[in-house]
Amino acid sequence: MKLRFHWAFLLVAALVPVVGLFVPAARSLGELLRPIFIMAILALGLNILTGFTGILNLGVAAFMALGAYAYAILTCDIYPFQFGFWPAVMLTVLVGLLAGLMLGLPTIRLRGDYLAIVTLGFGEIVQDSLKNMDVITKGTQGINPLPGPTFAGYMFRSETYAPWYYLFLGFLALVVLLNRNLQRSRVGRAWIAIREDELAASCMGVNPMKMKLLAFSLGAAQCSLAGALWASFLGSSGEPGNYDFQVSIIALCIVIVGGMGNIAGVLLGALVVVGCNSLVLETFTNFLKAHELISSTNVYTAPGNWKYMLFGLALILMMRFKPEGLLPSRQVKAELHPHEPPPS
Amino acid sequence: MLALENIHAGYGPIDVLKGITLRVNEGEIVTVLGANGAGKSTTLMTIAGVNPCRQGMITFAGEPIANLPVHEIVRLGISQVPEGRRIFPRLTIRENLELGAFQRNDDIAGDLERALDLFPILRERTGQLGGTLSGGEQQMLAIARALMARPKLLLLDEPSLGLAPLMVVKIFEIIRAINQQGTTILLVEQNANMALHIAQRGYVLETGRIVLEDSAANLINNEQVRKSYLGG
Repeated sequence: MKLRFHWAFLLVAALVPVVGLFVPAARSLGELLRPIFIMAILALGLNILTGFTGILNLGVAAFMALGAYAYAILTCDIYPFQFGFWPAVMLTVLVGLLAGLMLGLPTIRLRGDYLAIVTLGFGEIVQDSLKNMDVITKGTQGINPLPGPTFAGYMFRSETYAPWYYLFLGFLALVVLLNRNLQRSRVGRAWIAIREDELAASCMGVNPMKMKLLAFSLGAAQCSLAGALWASFLGSSGEPGNYDFQVSIIALCIVIVGGMGNIAGVLLGALVVVGCNSLVLETFTNFLKAHELISSTNVYTAPGNWKYMLFGLALILMMRFKPEGLLPSRQVKAELHPHEPPPS
Repeated sequence: MLALENIHAGYGPIDVLKGITLRVNEGEIVTVLGANGAGKSTTLMTIAGVNPCRQGMITFAGEPIANLPVHEIVRLGISQVPEGRRIFPRLTIRENLELGAFQRNDDIAGDLERALDLFPILRERTGQLGGTLSGGEQQMLAIARALMARPKLLLLDEPSLGLAPLMVVKIFEIIRAINQQGTTILLVEQNANMALHIAQRGYVLETGRIVLEDSAANLINNEQVRKSYLGG
């Protein structure tokens, strides 16, 4: 049996902390992987919309922000709720589900670019609202401190490494499994049919509005989950500026570079995009600094500060040479390379 | 089974259909003939719910169905093979067929077998992408896909369009076979000769109005029909 990339990814990832006990380098790799897991959950949420259903969403950071703030409000001791980690995460996912439904209901009839503009606007509105509703959200300070998660009596502390790692990896595995089943289900088929030809899909008896709303809610719920996990790790909701347009764009980059509509592709995309950002560029910058090849006063000489330009360049190169992404879904590959024989 | 009463429908400010009245009885093949732009496809799209019906009544099995959403109409038992086939080119044959049965979850495997029995050429290629089929095979796939919904009434929009003459004969044989297995068929065609040979009754549509209505046998011998649609 062929071992699928996403299962291989999760399996190898599960071994990293074990190796880290003996090899110190693996530990620092593991520390870098934690944000990658969270970004992968965010990007998988976006993949439901953009990859499966063909709806461009430019505001997933807003759902992540809603998740982070909902989690913070549910757990922080300055609010009356003070839920534990698990019920708070479940409620946050529910909040995301409802938020997606509420944004989707009035706007889902819009097509293509117009809907993308709405989601772009939604991203900005959420960020500004969080900044200005400081009675509830504490403005730019964010809500903190948040208690760490607990699991069977064990309390997570910010300085520990492996428990967080496995917590996030566990959630990522859960999300991968869920998306895998969704993709293969009746609903997943309907999404792909809508992406391919909405009219033909409705002639098959698919209700496009209902299915698109479902994609919107489920995608938003996953993005909120990413937000809640991030907030629990930070011990703070983070400030509204943490969930800006760039986060949405990075999520979109992950989906496009990795391969639209393919779960394995999105995981690879998260590894490459976030990995480049935090591992390659940072290591390179540190290396140059250590050897005094760049000045510490001139910010333009640090490669890390060129990241968005490098992202842009990478996207242009991808579009030119591999527009379907690194690990595309079969449909996207057939769309962009119509003359190659399909794999039998 | 299906009855249209004084249907008006169209696009933008223009009414393409200006009062269509027609009926399809259970077990029949009824054909709608007409030139380009007469409103044949609009009639089918209005029945299928793709196009809004502006005035008039559509009833199916006694129930009014005008302006119901497309997926509801499919659920009631009307399947459409749209003009230009509209198969899913980047899904496999099997996936295309399975999507046809989207509204149901009973015995899909059995229906898949029956559909593949009807179109043996598709059986050899179930794993192939829809877009790699020839035009005639795509038409077969579109018909097979519509049958997967187990329709009581099948709407066919120009199944002969763009096909080689031999393939046209084949497709019409299959349409007749489907009808004999109990599915009522409303067939829109430009190939009047072929359509009248398999249909029991026919309507002639001209600029949004029904100008003739008769049994297929009478229409074949009708002077006006011979002149306009059968080439003398």
